[in-house]
Amino acid sequence: MKDSIPLAPLEKMARFNLIVFAAVTVLYFIAVPSLAWCFHRTLLQASVPALGLFGFCGFWGFGSYFLYDRKRRAKVKLDEREELINLQATTTGFAAAWGVFVALCMGVWVVRSYVVHRPTLPIVFLPFLVFTCMIVQTVFQSLGILAGYKRSCGDDTL
Amino acid sequence: MTPSEGVQLKNRIRKLRFEHGEMTQQELADHVGAARQTIIALEAGKYAPSLLLAFRLAKAFGVKTEDVFQWDGD
Repeated sequence: MKDSIPLAPLEKMARFNLIVFAAVTVLYFIAVPSLAWCFHRTLLQASVPALGLFGFCGFWGFGSYFLYDRKRRAKVKLDEREELINLQATTTGFAAAWGVFVALCMGVWVVRSYVVHRPTLPIVFLPFLVFTCMIVQTVFQSLGILAGYKRSCGDDTL
Repeated sequence: MTPSEGVQLKNRIRKLRFEHGEMTQQELADHVGAARQTIIALEAGKYAPSLLLAFRLAKAFGVKTEDVFQWDGD
Protein backbone atom coordinates (compact mmCIF):
# COMPACT_ATOMS: atom_id res chain seq x y z
CA MET A 1 0.00 0.00 0.00
CA LYS A 2 1.39 3.36 -0.96
CA ASP A 3 1.45 6.25 1.42
CA SER A 4 2.52 9.83 0.98
CA ILE A 5 6.04 10.91 1.81
CA PRO A 6 6.24 13.95 4.07
CA LEU A 7 8.26 16.75 2.56
CA ALA A 8 11.87 16.93 3.67
CA PRO A 9 12.91 20.18 5.42
CA LEU A 10 15.04 21.19 2.44
CA GLU A 11 12.12 20.61 0.07
CA LYS A 12 9.90 22.73 2.29
CA MET A 13 12.45 25.53 2.22
CA ALA A 14 12.77 25.34 -1.59
CA ARG A 15 9.01 25.38 -2.04
CA PHE A 16 8.67 28.29 0.37
CA ASN A 17 11.28 30.25 -1.59
CA LEU A 18 9.54 29.58 -4.90
CA ILE A 19 6.13 30.46 -3.47
CA VAL A 20 7.48 33.78 -2.17
CA PHE A 21 9.07 34.50 -5.55
CA ALA A 22 5.90 33.58 -7.45
CA ALA A 23 3.75 35.72 -5.16
CA VAL A 24 6.08 38.71 -5.51
CA THR A 25 6.20 38.31 -9.30
CA VAL A 26 2.41 38.19 -9.52
CA LEU A 27 2.18 41.26 -7.27
CA TYR A 28 4.68 43.04 -9.50
CA PHE A 29 2.66 42.44 -12.64
CA ILE A 30 -0.46 43.65 -10.85
CA ALA A 31 1.33 46.69 -9.46
CA VAL A 32 2.79 47.94 -12.75
CA PRO A 33 -0.54 48.71 -14.49
CA SER A 34 -2.03 49.87 -11.19
CA LEU A 35 0.77 52.39 -10.60
CA ALA A 36 0.61 53.49 -14.23
CA TRP A 37 -3.11 54.09 -13.93
CA CYS A 38 -2.95 55.82 -10.52
CA PHE A 39 -0.08 58.16 -11.32
CA HIS A 40 -0.79 58.65 -15.02
CA ARG A 41 2.51 57.12 -16.12
CA THR A 42 3.42 54.78 -18.92
CA LEU A 43 3.82 51.08 -18.11
CA LEU A 44 7.57 51.43 -18.65
CA GLN A 45 7.79 54.31 -16.19
CA ALA A 46 5.70 52.45 -13.61
CA SER A 47 7.72 49.28 -13.96
CA VAL A 48 10.76 50.77 -12.17
CA PRO A 49 9.21 51.84 -8.83
CA ALA A 50 7.18 48.61 -8.79
CA LEU A 51 10.48 46.74 -8.57
CA GLY A 52 10.44 47.70 -4.91
CA LEU A 53 7.94 44.89 -4.40
CA PHE A 54 10.81 42.45 -4.84
CA GLY A 55 11.87 43.62 -1.40
CA PHE A 56 9.32 41.07 -0.16
CA CYS A 57 11.84 38.45 -1.26
CA GLY A 58 13.37 39.29 2.11
CA PHE A 59 10.91 36.73 3.48
CA TRP A 60 13.34 34.14 2.12
CA GLY A 61 15.26 34.73 5.31
CA PHE A 62 12.54 32.78 7.12
CA GLY A 63 13.15 29.79 4.83
CA SER A 64 15.98 28.52 7.01
CA TYR A 65 13.38 28.00 9.74
CA PHE A 66 12.47 24.76 7.99
CA LEU A 67 16.00 23.43 8.38
CA TYR A 68 16.14 23.57 12.14
CA ASP A 69 14.99 20.90 14.52
CA ARG A 70 12.59 22.46 16.98
CA LYS A 71 13.66 20.10 19.73
CA ARG A 72 17.37 20.57 19.13
CA ARG A 73 17.65 24.10 17.84
CA ALA A 74 21.25 23.92 16.71
CA LYS A 75 20.85 20.75 14.67
CA VAL A 76 20.26 21.06 10.95
CA LYS A 77 18.12 18.22 9.66
CA LEU A 78 19.96 17.20 6.51
CA ASP A 79 21.46 13.83 5.82
CA GLU A 80 24.35 13.12 3.46
CA ARG A 81 22.21 12.76 0.33
CA GLU A 82 20.38 15.99 1.05
CA GLU A 83 23.66 17.79 1.60
CA LEU A 84 24.78 16.61 -1.84
CA ILE A 85 21.51 17.75 -3.40
CA ASN A 86 21.88 21.12 -1.68
CA LEU A 87 25.48 21.42 -2.85
CA GLN A 88 24.55 20.66 -6.45
CA ALA A 89 21.61 23.07 -6.31
CA THR A 90 23.79 25.80 -4.80
CA THR A 91 26.32 25.31 -7.59
CA THR A 92 23.55 25.53 -10.17
CA GLY A 93 22.22 28.69 -8.54
CA PHE A 94 25.66 30.25 -8.41
CA ALA A 95 26.31 29.41 -12.07
CA ALA A 96 23.00 30.99 -13.08
CA ALA A 97 23.63 34.08 -10.95
CA TRP A 98 27.12 34.46 -12.36
CA GLY A 99 25.79 34.17 -15.91
CA VAL A 100 23.18 36.83 -15.25
CA PHE A 101 25.75 39.06 -13.53
CA VAL A 102 28.13 38.91 -16.47
CA ALA A 103 25.35 39.30 -19.04
CA LEU A 104 23.87 42.31 -17.26
CA CYS A 105 27.23 44.01 -16.64
CA MET A 106 28.50 43.46 -20.14
CA GLY A 107 25.11 44.16 -21.73
CA VAL A 108 24.68 47.49 -20.00
CA TRP A 109 28.32 48.39 -20.58
CA VAL A 110 28.09 47.57 -24.31
CA VAL A 111 24.84 49.50 -24.69
CA ARG A 112 26.28 52.51 -22.89
CA SER A 113 29.50 52.31 -24.89
CA TYR A 114 27.93 52.13 -28.32
CA VAL A 115 24.58 53.85 -27.86
CA VAL A 116 25.08 56.50 -25.18
CA HIS A 117 28.86 56.72 -25.70
CA ARG A 118 29.44 56.78 -21.95
CA PRO A 119 31.05 53.45 -21.06
CA THR A 120 30.29 53.50 -17.35
CA LEU A 121 27.79 51.62 -15.24
CA PRO A 122 25.35 54.01 -13.51
CA ILE A 123 25.42 53.78 -9.72
CA VAL A 124 21.65 53.14 -9.56
CA PHE A 125 22.28 50.02 -11.58
CA LEU A 126 24.39 48.41 -8.83
CA PRO A 127 21.65 47.57 -6.29
CA PHE A 128 19.49 46.29 -9.14
CA LEU A 129 22.38 44.11 -10.26
CA VAL A 130 23.04 42.70 -6.78
CA PHE A 131 19.39 41.99 -6.02
CA THR A 132 18.79 40.43 -9.42
CA CYS A 133 21.75 38.09 -9.00
CA MET A 134 20.64 37.10 -5.52
CA ILE A 135 17.11 36.44 -6.71
CA VAL A 136 18.41 34.34 -9.61
CA GLN A 137 20.70 32.44 -7.23
CA THR A 138 17.89 31.62 -4.80
CA VAL A 139 15.32 30.73 -7.43
CA PHE A 140 17.70 28.43 -9.33
CA GLN A 141 18.94 26.87 -6.11
CA SER A 142 15.35 26.15 -5.04
CA LEU A 143 14.52 24.68 -8.44
CA GLY A 144 17.69 22.59 -8.25
CA ILE A 145 16.73 21.26 -4.84
CA LEU A 146 13.28 20.22 -6.02
CA ALA A 147 14.76 18.66 -9.16
CA GLY A 148 17.32 16.78 -7.06
CA TYR A 149 14.63 15.29 -4.85
CA LYS A 150 12.45 14.46 -7.82
CA ARG A 151 15.31 12.73 -9.63
CA SER A 152 16.72 10.64 -6.84
CA CYS A 153 13.52 9.87 -4.96
CA GLY A 154 10.56 9.29 -7.22
CA ASP A 155 7.15 8.03 -6.21
CA ASP A 156 8.49 4.72 -4.98
CA THR A 157 7.07 4.25 -1.54
CA LEU A 158 6.02 1.20 0.35
CA MET B 1 23.91 14.18 -12.22
CA THR B 2 22.20 13.16 -9.00
CA PRO B 3 24.32 12.12 -6.03
CA SER B 4 24.60 8.60 -7.47
CA GLU B 5 23.08 8.43 -10.88
CA GLY B 6 24.16 5.37 -12.79
CA VAL B 7 24.93 3.53 -9.59
CA GLN B 8 25.95 -0.10 -9.96
CA LEU B 9 25.33 -0.93 -6.35
CA LYS B 10 22.55 -3.37 -5.65
CA ASN B 11 21.09 -3.72 -2.21
CA ARG B 12 18.72 -5.86 -0.22
CA ILE B 13 17.38 -3.14 2.04
CA ARG B 14 13.75 -3.70 1.16
CA LYS B 15 14.04 -7.45 1.71
CA LEU B 16 15.92 -6.97 4.96
CA ARG B 17 13.30 -4.54 6.21
CA PHE B 18 10.60 -7.11 5.76
CA GLU B 19 12.72 -9.80 7.35
CA HIS B 20 13.04 -7.55 10.37
CA GLY B 21 9.42 -7.38 11.38
CA GLU B 22 8.28 -5.35 8.40
CA MET B 23 10.29 -2.37 9.53
CA THR B 24 9.01 0.79 7.85
CA GLN B 25 11.20 3.10 5.82
CA GLN B 26 10.73 5.79 8.44
CA GLU B 27 11.80 3.48 11.27
CA LEU B 28 14.92 2.49 9.37
CA ALA B 29 15.63 6.12 8.52
CA ASP B 30 15.33 7.13 12.17
CA HIS B 31 17.56 4.23 13.15
CA VAL B 32 20.39 5.21 10.82
CA GLY B 33 19.96 8.98 11.09
CA ALA B 34 18.86 9.58 7.52
CA ALA B 35 15.78 10.99 5.83
CA ARG B 36 13.06 8.64 4.65
CA GLN B 37 13.58 9.94 1.13
CA THR B 38 17.15 8.69 1.31
CA ILE B 39 15.97 5.18 2.18
CA ILE B 40 13.55 5.33 -0.74
CA ALA B 41 16.33 6.47 -3.07
CA LEU B 42 18.58 3.68 -1.79
CA GLU B 43 15.94 1.01 -2.31
CA ALA B 44 15.27 2.31 -5.80
CA GLY B 45 18.99 2.08 -6.56
CA LYS B 46 19.16 5.80 -7.26
CA TYR B 47 21.68 6.62 -4.58
CA ALA B 48 24.91 5.03 -3.38
CA PRO B 49 25.43 5.71 0.31
CA SER B 50 28.62 6.78 2.00
CA LEU B 51 30.63 4.11 3.73
CA LEU B 52 29.41 5.39 7.06
CA LEU B 53 25.74 5.12 6.12
CA ALA B 54 26.34 1.68 4.61
CA PHE B 55 27.81 0.48 7.91
CA ARG B 56 24.94 2.02 9.84
CA LEU B 57 22.42 0.26 7.64
CA ALA B 58 24.19 -3.06 8.05
CA LYS B 59 24.30 -2.55 11.80
CA ALA B 60 20.60 -1.72 11.88
CA PHE B 61 19.88 -5.12 10.33
CA GLY B 62 22.57 -6.91 12.33
CA VAL B 63 24.35 -8.16 9.21
CA LYS B 64 27.61 -7.46 7.39
CA THR B 65 27.81 -4.60 4.90
CA GLU B 66 28.28 -7.04 2.01
CA ASP B 67 25.03 -8.72 2.97
CA VAL B 68 23.25 -5.44 2.33
CA PHE B 69 25.14 -4.10 -0.67
CA GLN B 70 26.52 -5.85 -3.70
CA TRP B 71 28.66 -4.09 -6.26
CA ASP B 72 27.57 -4.89 -9.80
CA GLY B 73 30.51 -3.29 -11.59
CA ASP B 74 33.64 -4.64 -13.29
